[in-house]
Amino acid sequence: MTSRQVISEFVIEPGAGKAIELLKGQILRIEQVEGGQCADFNCFNLHDYKEFMHCGRTRTVHGFHPTTGTFMWSAPPRERAMLYILEDTVGRNDVLFPRCSAYVYEAAYGFAVHTNCHDIQAEAQREYGLTPDDVHDSFNLFMCTGVDEDGHAFMTRQTSKPGDYVDLLALMDVLAVPNVCGADVMKTSNFALKPLKLTVSAASDVDHAKVPSVPILASQRTPKDFRNPIIKTDRPLRRDPAYKAEFPNTPIVITELPIRLTPEEVAMFNAVKRTDIYGDDDAAALRDLLFSWWEERFLQAHAGAPAIGNP
Amino acid sequence: MTETIIKLQLNQQQLELLDRTIAQGVAADREALVRLALREYAAARKTASVAETAR
Repeated sequence: MTSRQVISEFVIEPGAGKAIELLKGQILRIEQVEGGQCADFNCFNLHDYKEFMHCGRTRTVHGFHPTTGTFMWSAPPRERAMLYILEDTVGRNDVLFPRCSAYVYEAAYGFAVHTNCHDIQAEAQREYGLTPDDVHDSFNLFMCTGVDEDGHAFMTRQTSKPGDYVDLLALMDVLAVPNVCGADVMKTSNFALKPLKLTVSAASDVDHAKVPSVPILASQRTPKDFRNPIIKTDRPLRRDPAYKAEFPNTPIVITELPIRLTPEEVAMFNAVKRTDIYGDDDAAALRDLLFSWWEERFLQAHAGAPAIGNP
Repeated sequence: MTETIIKLQLNQQQLELLDRTIAQGVAADREALVRLALREYAAARKTASVAETAR
């Protein structure tokens, strides 16, 4: 396909969200109408809702503000790239903050009822049979956040303008659920609730060519690999009397590996060993050095991130 | 020449990583790999230290 073809358009009004079936190869554009509006976002595998987008995994791979050229990943043990951020005209999104909730507005502001992203998501997802417990941590589009010197996350006003947008390309069939963030008494959306425009399009060949390759690995497991693939349908937890633990790679067994060092090597070691952490435990300090060296020499991306190829 | 022996305590997963690294031809055996790591790690810090001093 040489150019994008629009399939459907929606406007989500303040206080609302919309669950959209976004098939592999389709693009969801989330667009500012008036500007300055945060969009919270959930995403599920359309054919297995237990696979959902995971902000923790996504921020580990792409940092606190994923933007153009990054992926939204599903939670372990699936850990697949679900969506690719094709374009982002602002470049400021958030995966630090959780969705706002009714509790937040009651506890901090005294509201008995207030628009909030958890309840908006839950209501939008109800169209597909999901429950309020199925809402997951949100990817917060256009939300301007950071971390202060004391390690606390903060949010501030955003600068998005009418027409600014984020384009999300589906890499699998998903249920995509954006909502107008319900925060009108915080800086998140500059103290006002505004509509957002949604457009679903079929991606063009140019769009597809922009997506880098990601590794497909055996550790990306699906229910066919689970010891218990059955989704629990009742609420109480009861012990399975037939349970027998099968933790991987257990028992952990320690082997002693003697390393002979020359006086020159001992001098090198003494110059760099981490006595601040290991004191006079040279074996622990040498083990630290060994794996620190391995990371420096062989890791191709941030710790925990896969090596993502070029388009 | 006086040698010093340090007895590393490694589990099977850590040894697997060493053995896969050795299989790539990085070193001849586990002990050689550890000594290579020490030399390269120390050299990198010596270089960094010299660069910092020169600034």
